[in-house]
Amino acid sequence: MTETGRCEHMKKQEPIHQIQTKKDSLSREEQQKQHEFQKEAVVHLNSLYNYALHMTMNPDDAEDLVQETYLKAYRFFNSFERGTNCKAWLFKILKNNYINRFRKNSREPGKVDYDLIKDFYHSIKDTRSDTTEAESDYFHSLLHEEVYQALHSLPEEFREVIQLCDMEGFTYEEIANMVESPIGTVRSRLYRGRKLLRGQLEDYAKKFGFNTNNNTEQ
Amino acid sequence: MNCKKARVLMSAAVDSELALKEEQDFLAHLKQCKECHEEFEDAKKTKMIIKERIVQFKAPQSLVDAIMQLTSLTAIEHEDTLLFE
Ligand SMILES: [Zn+2]
Repeated sequence: MTETGRCEHMKKQEPIHQIQTKKDSLSREEQQKQHEFQKEAVVHLNSLYNYALHMTMNPDDAEDLVQETYLKAYRFFNSFERGTNCKAWLFKILKNNYINRFRKNSREPGKVDYDLIKDFYHSIKDTRSDTTEAESDYFHSLLHEEVYQALHSLPEEFREVIQLCDMEGFTYEEIANMVESPIGTVRSRLYRGRKLLRGQLEDYAKKFGFNTNNNTEQ
Repeated sequence: MNCKKARVLMSAAVDSELALKEEQDFLAHLKQCKECHEEFEDAKKTKMIIKERIVQFKAPQSLVDAIMQLTSLTAIEHEDTLLFE
């Protein structure tokens, strides 16, 4: 059973009137905290969910992980340094939760299960939001799925920094803090990770018969 | 600047994380080095692909509801619950 599951369970057992009383009796301070938390933290829900999905490759686990993250974040919201990046703070909590709960029984490092990635991608694709079709180079024709697979074929330490940087837009300093490594390490992981990714994408490009020399004619 | 140093700075250049002086030196090197120039363009392109091609999913409504509930009326109960763990 999960922590969050247990909370849900206990909550449901409470008679309605009791919850009502508690709500009414919330101090002004508590109300203020809730308001601020919603404004600062809850707005990042989608980003956190996506990051959790990439890590767990399982929608239920991702949901659990995000719930747990918000539970902890709310509890320790007073220790959040106002004026710093709340999204970065939440990501760090999420990552710690992930390490504690999931990593122990994750897939063996170095092994990539392409079928799993593919199945997962298809199972969740339906709800995807629209993306813009803007670029004109040869990668334009690559399927989103191929890019997704390429990203997931990278060793975790490279995939992680690429996601944090390119998808979430964190600064090197924020990333260094999240992955608990010096900025120099973040730099070199990004450098090597992008090179590996580039190689993967070129393979896909060849597989699908696209020209890799910036030539858009087909 | 030599190629080795340029490659150390490559990702930071892609992400606009270089100090002004470093960036100037880096760009000066690219002007006279075709290989580093190509690598730089490739790295920028790779970043762009990830940025634009990776699909972002919407959090399911059940999760949104759970979080909203968590931060509206059940905060005190959760504090209680956590004490048992
Ligand atoms: Zn060079």
